[in-house]
Amino acid sequence: MEIRISSVLLAAVLLSGCSWFHRSDKGPKLVVAEAPQADPSIILPQVERRAIKTPKIKAKNIELGAYFGALSIQDFGTNPLYGARVAYHVSEDIFFESFLGRSKGGQTSLEDVFPNITVVDKSGRRFTYYDLDLGYNILPGEIFLGRGRAFNSALYMTVGIGAVKFAKKDQFALNFGVGSRILITDWLALHMDVRDHVFETTLTGRTKNVHNIETTLGFTTFF
Amino acid sequence: MRYLFVLTLLVQALFAAKGYAKDKPIELVVAEPYLEMRSGPGRGFPVFYVVGRGETLVVLFSRTDWYKVRAPRGQEGWARREELAKTSFASGEPAPIPPYPDFTNHRWELGAGYGVYNRQNLVTTYTDYALTQSLDAEFVLQQALGTIDNRYVATIGLRHTFVPEWKWASPTVGLGTGYQTITDKIPPKPLETRNQLGYVSIGARGFITKRFMWRLDWRSYVIFTKQNANKEPEEWKFGLAVFY
Repeated sequence: MEIRISSVLLAAVLLSGCSWFHRSDKGPKLVVAEAPQADPSIILPQVERRAIKTPKIKAKNIELGAYFGALSIQDFGTNPLYGARVAYHVSEDIFFESFLGRSKGGQTSLEDVFPNITVVDKSGRRFTYYDLDLGYNILPGEIFLGRGRAFNSALYMTVGIGAVKFAKKDQFALNFGVGSRILITDWLALHMDVRDHVFETTLTGRTKNVHNIETTLGFTTFF
Repeated sequence: MRYLFVLTLLVQALFAAKGYAKDKPIELVVAEPYLEMRSGPGRGFPVFYVVGRGETLVVLFSRTDWYKVRAPRGQEGWARREELAKTSFASGEPAPIPPYPDFTNHRWELGAGYGVYNRQNLVTTYTDYALTQSLDAEFVLQQALGTIDNRYVATIGLRHTFVPEWKWASPTVGLGTGYQTITDKIPPKPLETRNQLGYVSIGARGFITKRFMWRLDWRSYVIFTKQNANKEPEEWKFGLAVFY
């Protein structure tokens, strides 16, 4: 009898051993009685949530391209120019555009007449600029080629600020431009631009504003 | 021969990838009495075709607020955002035209502007990430162009908007740090060409239209030098930005 009671007690102690470290005020026997029992009436839902993927319409508001043309650097002749441009179209009227261009100044008239005078040394003739512009499509429309072809186009104006590096000096520059964009396809556009870069210089001895007008032809792609 | 084999494989992989990448076309059903198709993405372009109620059109892509669509008989034209938003999928789900970003809760800003820093012309660009509705992390990269020297200033900072619900104009304050690099134009060379700096700013921001906004900022800098006194230039600037 004693053995039986002691073995029951031992079993109770062993069973409650697991909860020994979390013991509460209640006795170990009660913990045994609290052993979890699954309720067979509860069915756990096994339905997977269906991921609904709504397809996205692709937005093509970014325009990236290159251009080439001629830049008339005041006092330094007209020279070939090339550059890259990137635009972001905010609305059907407004866009942001940024340009990065490069050219090289030629000889001034003074240097032509007096060959041993150098206004700017050779390495300083590199003309580099960047522009940050705000553009506005003033005259949107269509251009017709023959009977059966129409291309969307827009005449736009750009105004912006930037910097010109010429004669090894960075100058703050304003720029004003007018251009025409013709969409050959939905993703390819032809650009014709005229833009003026105005900055202050002391290169020829006195302080003056110089106008550097470029005419360019370029292609851009929309994506 | 081996090269040819590799080339063939590559070309095949390219085409396979292309085929895989091609999404299913987005087909929407017109729910209103009709949907107008214009010849270009703008309010002035003429309406040349009309898609009737119950007809299905394919959406190709969007440009600003216009969507290039293809009518059931193959005509392609541009539909207005507001009109296309009233269409739905054949299953009844609404058209996937996301609403304009809410200005009060926007996440990203990308902008540029003009200013004056240390009495020099300033070209400034910035990116802004909203941590909360009223607290932004701001990254600024700017070039100050003067007669004596040019400076590049790069800063990172925090900005607090006092009343973000005030849509048209809301005051802001900011605090941050960064670096300045000086390149000289006219001798003598500056004593130090690279300095750390700190700034405090007050300003304002406001909504213009759609995804478009403005910012005005005045900053007071402290440039930490190795000389006896720090330099304390001021700056003001105005910028335009797009937000998402």
